[in-house]
Amino acid sequence: MTKYIIRRVIQAIPVLFGITVVVYAILLAAPGGPVQRFANNPRVTDTQRLAFIHRWGLDQPIPVQYCRWMGICNPDKDGLATFVSDQGLPNFLPTFLGGGDNGVLHGDLGVSIDTGQVVSDRIMASLLPTIILAGTALIVWVTFAILLGTLAALRPYSLFDQVLTIFTYVGFAMPTFWLGIMLIYTFSGPGLNILPAGGMTSPRISPPFGTNDYWAWFSAQPIKAILDLGRHLILPVTTLVVISIAGDSRFVRGSMMETLHMDYVRTAKAKGLKARTVTFKHAFRNAMLPFITNVALELPLLFTGAIVTETIFSWPGIGRLTIQSTNQFDYPMLMGILLIAAVATVFANLLADIAYAVVDPRIKY
Amino acid sequence: MQPYGEFEPARPAPLTEKVVEVAAIPVRQEEAGADYEVTLQSLNQWQLAWRKFKKHRLALIGLGILTCLLATAFVGPIVLPYDFASIPVPDQIVYQGRPPGLGHLFGETGGLQRDVLTLVVNGARLSLIIGFSSMMIGVFIGTIVGAIAGFLGGFLDNALMRIVDVMLSLPLLFVILVASRFFGNGSALLLILIFGFFSWMGVARLVRSLFLSLREQEFVEAARAVGVGNMRTIFRHILPNAVSPIVIVASLIMAGNIISEAFVSFLGFGVDSSTPTWGNILSNALTFIPLGNWWWPFFAGLAIILTVLSVNFIGDGLRDALDPRSRA
Amino acid sequence: MTDATIAVEQGSGPMLGVAPGEDVLLDVRDLKTYFHVMDGTVKAVDGVSFSLRRGSSIGVVGESGSGKSVTALTMMRLLDIPPAEIVDGEIWFDGRELVAMSEEDIRHIRGKDMAMIFQEPLTALNPLFTVGNQIAEQIELHMKVKKREAWDRSIEMLKIVGMPNAEARVKQYPHEMSGGMRQRVMIAMAISCEPKLIIADEPTTALDVTIQAQIMELLKSIQQRTGASLMLITHDLGVIAEMVDDVIVMYAGQVVEQGHVDEVFLDPRAPYTEGLIRSIPSVVGRGRRLKAIRGTVPSPFNLPPACRFEPRCDYPWDLCRTSEPELYQVGAPERRARCHLYGPAGRGRRSPVVGTSSIEGETESTEAARPDSAQVFLKSEQALEDRRQ
Repeated sequence: MTKYIIRRVIQAIPVLFGITVVVYAILLAAPGGPVQRFANNPRVTDTQRLAFIHRWGLDQPIPVQYCRWMGICNPDKDGLATFVSDQGLPNFLPTFLGGGDNGVLHGDLGVSIDTGQVVSDRIMASLLPTIILAGTALIVWVTFAILLGTLAALRPYSLFDQVLTIFTYVGFAMPTFWLGIMLIYTFSGPGLNILPAGGMTSPRISPPFGTNDYWAWFSAQPIKAILDLGRHLILPVTTLVVISIAGDSRFVRGSMMETLHMDYVRTAKAKGLKARTVTFKHAFRNAMLPFITNVALELPLLFTGAIVTETIFSWPGIGRLTIQSTNQFDYPMLMGILLIAAVATVFANLLADIAYAVVDPRIKY
Repeated sequence: MQPYGEFEPARPAPLTEKVVEVAAIPVRQEEAGADYEVTLQSLNQWQLAWRKFKKHRLALIGLGILTCLLATAFVGPIVLPYDFASIPVPDQIVYQGRPPGLGHLFGETGGLQRDVLTLVVNGARLSLIIGFSSMMIGVFIGTIVGAIAGFLGGFLDNALMRIVDVMLSLPLLFVILVASRFFGNGSALLLILIFGFFSWMGVARLVRSLFLSLREQEFVEAARAVGVGNMRTIFRHILPNAVSPIVIVASLIMAGNIISEAFVSFLGFGVDSSTPTWGNILSNALTFIPLGNWWWPFFAGLAIILTVLSVNFIGDGLRDALDPRSRA
Repeated sequence: MTDATIAVEQGSGPMLGVAPGEDVLLDVRDLKTYFHVMDGTVKAVDGVSFSLRRGSSIGVVGESGSGKSVTALTMMRLLDIPPAEIVDGEIWFDGRELVAMSEEDIRHIRGKDMAMIFQEPLTALNPLFTVGNQIAEQIELHMKVKKREAWDRSIEMLKIVGMPNAEARVKQYPHEMSGGMRQRVMIAMAISCEPKLIIADEPTTALDVTIQAQIMELLKSIQQRTGASLMLITHDLGVIAEMVDDVIVMYAGQVVEQGHVDEVFLDPRAPYTEGLIRSIPSVVGRGRRLKAIRGTVPSPFNLPPACRFEPRCDYPWDLCRTSEPELYQVGAPERRARCHLYGPAGRGRRSPVVGTSSIEGETESTEAARPDSAQVFLKSEQALEDRRQ
C-alpha cells in the first residue's frame, strides 16, 4: 500500500512540473506583463517603468525568469553561472546542502508586486478562512448529497424524488453567484434582515478575523466566537454547496438505484436478511464507491466556487485574494496561488485514487 | 390407470388429406409469433434518433425554450421600444430603479434607470454567441486532438494525453479568470477564444477513447483492406460513428461556457460593460441589491437558468435518442 | 377406457405422484406471474402447478424465457412487484401459503427453510465482503448465535462443500476465487441454515464442464445427506436425468409435460418434449442431420392464441389452433402432457401431417421422425424402438 502511494506521488511530480510551466507560460505570455498595472497611470514615466522592469527581473528571457522563480537559477548571477548558488553548488539543492535560497524549490514564492508582502505569508493568512469555508461546505455537501440521494433511490418516482429531480436540473443551470445574490437579497436585504451580508465577523462584537486580537477574543469567549462565525457561514456555505448537492444527490441516487438491482442484493434478500441490512450493508457501501472518487475529484471545484463566493460575501480568503491580485497584475502572488491550487488539485486526485483503493478490495496495488 | 391407446405408426399421410389440411390452414402468420413477414420501414440512424427524441418530453420543452430564446435574442432588439445603449431621461429619479411595471416589464435598473428587459434581451445575443462559438472551437480542437491520439496511438497519444492531464489539473476557473483578465481586454472575441482554448480537453479524452474502440472494429479493417488511407479512414469511417457522444458532450460544454462567461463577466474580467451580457448585468447590479433592487439581477439570472436548463434537457434527449440500446 | 380425461391444473387435485397421506413439502397451484412493461404484459408464468415431496427432487426444464426462473423467484417472493404481479395462484410450502404471506413472515422463511442458489456466482456475491462474512451473517440471523459461533459454522460449511483450506479461504473475497469455488460458497450459504428446500437456478451454466460435474455431485450428495428437497432449474437435459426424481417441462410460461424423469425422457408425450429429446445430438446417429425444433420461441407479447407450441409442432391439427389444450393425464396419475392428442378429442390420433404446420418447414421422412436420444440418459434405445413399431 505504501509502495502504491509512493508510486503515485512520484508519478505526480512531472505533472506538477508541467503545471508550473503552463501557468508561468500563460502569465508571462500576457501582453505587457506586470508593468500593465501602470498602464493607465500617466504619472509613471518610462524611466520608472524600465526601472520597475529591471528591478523585478522582467527584462530577463522568460526561461530564465522561470528558472529563477523555481529556484533552479541564482538571481544574483548571470549567464551560465546562474545555475550555481552562492556557495558554489547547484542552485536547486536544498539550502542546507549548499544550494540557493530562492524560488519555489526552497519555499520562497517571491514578494508581492502589489503590497510588497512576502507571498507565502499572505497566502498562508488567506488560507485559513478559505479552509473554514470550504471545509464546512464539504461536510454539508457530502452529508446532504448522500442523504437526499439515498432517500430518493429508496423511493423512486415518488413526490420526493420528482422534486429532487427538478431541484437537480435547476441547480445545474444556476450560476452560483446568482444564488448568492438572491440569498443576500432575501436574508440580508431590506425585509428579512436576519443574516449578515458578508464578512467573517460582526465588527460590533469582535475584532477582525485572523488578527492577534481576534485570537485573544476567541480564547476568551470561544462559544460566542464560534456562533458568530457560524452565523456568517450560513449564506456563503449555502451558496457554495447548493449546486454541488444538486448534482451529487442525483449521482448518489443513480448509483444507489443501480446497486439495488445488482445480483448480490438479490442474494442478500434471498438469504432472508432484514431490509435494513440489505439496503445499508450490501447496497449502500457498493453505491458509495464511485461517489468517493467523485467527491475527491470535485474538491477543486470547491476552491473555484470559493472565488466568487468570497467576492460576494467579502470573505477574506484565497478566492478574494486571487481576484485582487488579478486586478493588480500581481504576478508573483498569482503564481503562488496558482501553484498552490494546482498542487491541491493533484493532491485531491491522488487522494481519490488512494481512497478508492482502500475501500474496494478488488483493486490491486 | 388409463392405458395409453395404440397410436398409428408414422407414415406419410395420403395426399388428399394433406391437401385438405393445407387448405384448412388459415393464414394467420402474425399469430404464430414465429417467422413471419412484416414490411419493415427502414429508418436510418438519424431518423430513428429523431423519433426517439420526439418522445422525450423534457427535451422537446428544452428545444422549445431554446428556440424562443434564440428568436428573442435576434428579433428582440428590433422589436423592443428601448435601445440598450441610450440612457433614458426618466420622469422621476428613483435611484434604486423601479420594480417591474407596465412600461418596463422587468423593471428599471438602479442608477441610470435603464429598462432591464432591453438589457436582458440584448445580453442574450452576446451570451449565446459566446457560449456557442467557444463550444464549437473547443469541440473542433478536441475532436482533432482526440482523433489523432486515439487513431495513431503510441508516443503521440501519450504526449497528447499528458498535455490533457496537465491542463485538466489546472483549476480551470482560476486560469480562465487570469487569462481573461490578461488577454481578454474586454473583447468578446478574445473571450470566445479563451473559453474555446480551455474547453477542448474533455472532448479530446472522449474522442480518443471512442477512436480507440472504434479503431479495432471490423469495418475499419475492411476499409484498410480496400486501401483507404489514414485521413480518409478517420473522417469518412470512424468519425460519423463518434458523432453522437460528441454532440451530447458539446451540449454540456455549451451550457458550461454560458455559465463561465457569466462568471467571468460578473467578476469584471469579461466583456466590457458597455455591451451587455448576462454576466455583465449581474455584476452591475451587485451594489444595488442592498438597496432592495432584486429585479435587475433576477431576470438576467433567470435567463441564464432557462438557457442552461433547456440546453441540458436537449442534451438529455439527445443522449436517449442517440443511444443505440434504447427503443424508439 | 373412460372418456373422461383429467385436467388437473385448476384448484387442488391429485398431485404429482402423491398418494393421500404422503408428505408434501411444496405444492404450487395454478401460479400466474405477469410482468407489466412498456410494450404490454408478459405472462411469464401462466398457470403452473406442481408439487414436491419431502426429501425428493424435481427438475424444471425449459428454454430461456420459458418461465422457469420466474417460477422460482415467485416462490421466494424475490420479484420486484411494480413490474411483476402475482396475478393468481397459491404456493403451499410446509403447510403455509406463501403468495398472501406478509413480507416479514416470508423473510423468516427465506434463507432458513427455503434457500436459493443462483446462476452466476461472481455477481451474486457481494464483492466488498469476505466470503466468511457473507455466510456468517445469514447464520447469525437465522440460527440466533453469536458472531464467533457463526464464523466457525461458516468454516464448517465450507468444509462440507469441499473447499480446500477452508480456514484461509473463509477470509477471502469473491474475486479471489475461481468460478467453481464461488459456486461452492453459494452452496455453503444456501445450506448453512439447514433448509428444507434448496432451489438451484442453473447452478452450473456459468461454469466449465469439468467443474459442472463436480458441483452437481456435490449438490446431490448434500441433498442426500441433509434430506432436503431439491428443485433444480436448468436447460441441460443431461443433468436432469442424473439428478432428479421428477421433472416438469415448461414452454412459454406453461407446464407442457410432467412426470417421473425416466418416463418423460424415455417416452416423451408432449410434442415439445419429444422435440427437445430428439434434438440432442446422438453418438449413434453420426452423419445424420441434426434435428432442431423448427421455428422460434414466440414473442411473449404475441403468443399463439390456442396451443402455444402449435406453430412449431409436428402433429398439429385444427383443434390446436382453436382451443388451448389442458394438462391431460397420460397413463399414471402423475404423468401429464399438455396436448390435444391426449385430450378427449384426440385419443389415439397421432398421425403427423408430414412435417408441415403453419410454417414453411422442412418435410421430414418418417424415418427421421422417430425420436432419437443420446445414450447418456437413454436406458434402452432398443426398448424405445420396440415401442415405436
